[in-house]
Amino acid sequence: MADVNASLGTAGVALAVVASLGGVVTVALAQAKGRPALLKQIPAFVGLVVLGSILAVIAMERALITRDFSVQFVAENGSTKTSLPFTISTMWSALEGSILLWGLILAGYLVAVVWKFRTRLQDPLVAWAMLTMFAVTAFFFGLMVGPADPFGTVANPPLDGPGPNPLLQDNLLMAFHPPMLYLGYVGFTVPFAFAIGALVTGRVGEGWLVETRRWTLFAWGFLTVGIVLGAWWSYEVLGWGGYWAWDPVENASLLPWLTGTAYLHSVMVQERRGMLRVWNLSLLCATFALTILGTFLTRSGVLDSVHAFSESSIGALFLGFFGLVVVVTLGLIGWRGEQLRAPGRIDSPLSREASFLANNVLFTGFAFVVLFGTVFPLIAEALDDRRVSVGVPYFNRMAGPIGLALLFLMAVAPALPWRKASTETLSQRLLWPAWFGVGVVVACVAAGTRGIVPLVAFGMGAFAGAAALRQVILATRRNGWRGLVGRTNGGMIVHLGVVMIAVGLAASGSFAEQAEARMAPGDTRTVHGHQVTYIGYEERDSDPSRLVRATEVRVDGKTLEPRLQRFPNASQEIGKPAVRYGIGDTVYLALIQAPREADGTILLRIIVQPLVGWLWAGGAVMVLGTLLSAFPGRRRRGTEPTSAPSRWDRQHHDDDTDPTLDGDPGSDTDTDTDDEREPVTA
Amino acid sequence: MSTVDIDPEVDGPDEAPARRWRIFGLPVSVVAAGVLGVIMLLLIVLLATRDPASDRQVDSPLLGRAAPQIEGTTIQGRDFDSATYDGRWLVVNFFATWCVPCVQEHPELVGFQEAQREAGQANVISVVFDDDRESVETFFGRNGGEWPVVLAAPDTISQWGVSGVPESFVVDPSGTVRYKLIGGVTAQGLSELVSP
Amino acid sequence: MTRRTLWIVLGLVAVVALALGSRSGGARTDEQRLWSIAGGVRCPTCAGQSVATSDAPAAESIREQIREDIDAGRSDDDIRARLADGAFGEDILLNPPRSGFAALVWVIPVVVVVVAFGGLALAFRRWERIGPSGPSRQDRDLVAAALGSDPDDTHGEGSGR
Repeated sequence: MADVNASLGTAGVALAVVASLGGVVTVALAQAKGRPALLKQIPAFVGLVVLGSILAVIAMERALITRDFSVQFVAENGSTKTSLPFTISTMWSALEGSILLWGLILAGYLVAVVWKFRTRLQDPLVAWAMLTMFAVTAFFFGLMVGPADPFGTVANPPLDGPGPNPLLQDNLLMAFHPPMLYLGYVGFTVPFAFAIGALVTGRVGEGWLVETRRWTLFAWGFLTVGIVLGAWWSYEVLGWGGYWAWDPVENASLLPWLTGTAYLHSVMVQERRGMLRVWNLSLLCATFALTILGTFLTRSGVLDSVHAFSESSIGALFLGFFGLVVVVTLGLIGWRGEQLRAPGRIDSPLSREASFLANNVLFTGFAFVVLFGTVFPLIAEALDDRRVSVGVPYFNRMAGPIGLALLFLMAVAPALPWRKASTETLSQRLLWPAWFGVGVVVACVAAGTRGIVPLVAFGMGAFAGAAALRQVILATRRNGWRGLVGRTNGGMIVHLGVVMIAVGLAASGSFAEQAEARMAPGDTRTVHGHQVTYIGYEERDSDPSRLVRATEVRVDGKTLEPRLQRFPNASQEIGKPAVRYGIGDTVYLALIQAPREADGTILLRIIVQPLVGWLWAGGAVMVLGTLLSAFPGRRRRGTEPTSAPSRWDRQHHDDDTDPTLDGDPGSDTDTDTDDEREPVTA
Repeated sequence: MSTVDIDPEVDGPDEAPARRWRIFGLPVSVVAAGVLGVIMLLLIVLLATRDPASDRQVDSPLLGRAAPQIEGTTIQGRDFDSATYDGRWLVVNFFATWCVPCVQEHPELVGFQEAQREAGQANVISVVFDDDRESVETFFGRNGGEWPVVLAAPDTISQWGVSGVPESFVVDPSGTVRYKLIGGVTAQGLSELVSP
Repeated sequence: MTRRTLWIVLGLVAVVALALGSRSGGARTDEQRLWSIAGGVRCPTCAGQSVATSDAPAAESIREQIREDIDAGRSDDDIRARLADGAFGEDILLNPPRSGFAALVWVIPVVVVVVAFGGLALAFRRWERIGPSGPSRQDRDLVAAALGSDPDDTHGEGSGR
């Protein structure tokens, strides 16, 4: 049996490599020799890639579930004592398996793309996109043939393995945070491939980006889920009471998110005005390149202190691939850029498109700060021979102003019409959101909140939230439930989620209070007005390998159970913090030391932070908004050439309507065409 | 679809005179791509040339200062005080049995210590870093190494500024820290440092 | 009230509220100082954590050192300087130094963002000079083609290709 899994898996990987390389060669031949008939073979190659990847994944899961320790990956990461769901998720708890998961997801996207464009495979643009996707697939499966072989075998299989990292065995939702991230990372391959296709064919203004817009949104949504889940996992499991540490792994996931977000905004300028073509292409390519660079930074160990061992050459390969992506895309952009330039201009700095430009500067600036800060220790060491750390205080200091500026834009931009705004319109549309923001600041000051930074953040957040809410209300008033779907309205709901997260970040970051308390049973400690009483201690060892040391702690009358837990085959005990969410404050308890005897003292970390729950709720709202924006809000009628122009040619330019997006006037949700219809606060 | 924002009533100019923006006579996109490309290539070179080789000497504020004292017990249970080692070169090796590079460098340390025992130049001591006594005993029993292995007071680690293992310090006969080596040592490298 | 007055009142209220709110809320306790300093010190033995968040022995001993320094009446900056001067070197501080080569980490991003906004401002000035642009004949043909025949408009978004 032993050999079955390894051979099956190796065969699957080999098949996928050969098929994807075959795809590359076939498409290249078809393009070079002008034989489009060859392109009909694309689905066959995709089918083989999928078959290979599924075979490999089945082999891996089978090896894990049957505890086939002759497979090295299982011997190193599996265990007979791990429960079934976590056995399945063991696959992506270590490098080789996560590359395999990456490959599987990539294969899935390949199928989806081929299915979606099945009638247009002979279009050169689609063909080049397929070639790009095949090449990326070949790279990832190639890794599995070489340095990240998941199916290496061991000569003398052990009887049991160590099992996956106990920190990953806490909650199944947490175990699914890596797949979410990968769905996001890998998803950006699709728009990237189409960007390459557009660059190669030079057909950049032809709506390929509309084709891929929803794919980008999809990938972006998954990346958002992955990042928020990661933060939640940090908070609920790791026991240090934080959710974001600006460490390289987190930064690596944030980088493509930032450029992806910039793209989702600037693409609207291209759709509306036909401008920014080169810029949008560059953003997509950058997003994809950053997913690769991020994987390199986190997988190669280059940023760890030198003590960490980079055990394989995988880092070099990722770096090489990143270099290839950079050279190819920059080469193509340099070559095509001039041709792709669209005539046109932005009429006024006070317009929707100008606000998107400002948004883009801020988001790419943000991405630059994160990347620069992450690699700066290497730069300093190389050029200055001096070791410096760039950590949380730096990133917070830099990200703070950018975040506030983005909140401000979020408040103003939705009220800006395309083309050119009059200050009159703007002052009318923004008045009550601005008053709401100021009202929140006044209320906070009255309630005793001090500190200029959090106050400004709350005020801006309230301003932006009110502005988004105003759009949603106007749209639903006009179109009923349809006012909630579609890109613009869904986008406003995403904005609401972002505002919640921003407020949560500002509050929990500015007003955290922390204490480390040594407590005997019956002791009470008051932290920021919350009474924390240590009641008692209990050991539960139904299974000695899973000893649980639980303490009973009462917080404001409610019992919590911070504990230390032993996991099978792990030498160290892992803390399991307990969290009490409140409408305002969240009380976080982490047991640092269990008592030596039943009535001994414990060492307890108590952290009181306001509004932590807003972060997770905000994440959920963002996901909801993303789903709503992916939902086609105007399917009922296609564009009617006769009716469509008549709808827009009488409009003055100062409006937000987007007739091309809203063929059906009834679902013209984007907008406040008539200023008269707007509520005026006064 | 992207360009449909047209007002047919305004008869706009059919083709605005194309005014390309140029920097040094080159289109902006070419210049931007070139600049970005150079930056990215520099980044790649930087990332690619970072060497995690062994015998890596690094800077430490301790260099040139008196070596912090090490007190504790050896794994054999005897009291230990580093002050007794003054007068000869001393290699202070921080290690743990769970650390792969430490295991890898161990034979080198053994080789160095055996050579030095004959030459009489230098001593070696090991300080246990975040590990338990049993594992350390088993490890030395299995892999050899006859020098004091110290379970030191907890603040030793921060006095020496150890941020991970393996780290080794070379202390000269006057008790001054001369070198800090991270990421594993070799017998030859150490011999060169302590040879007069 | 006119809208204009409402905006002026809004500005005044905001300024007053922020001025009131920015007054500090009393002196910080020693415990608050400890955790705020510790949050800016790298735990030397753990990956990516600060001394405030780690339970590693090294982190505990550094926290102990900070506690002693606070009790000895030293200022925050003084405590940080002593840590940077200690055995771990200045990279124990998570906040990169503001002098020498390392200051670039602060300067360059600011310069980049300022230059980017400057470029944007330049672009707007240029656009203003060019004057309004209209659709070219090419554009119109494109539109006509797109609207006239679009057999596989799969999205129903009027775009097709």
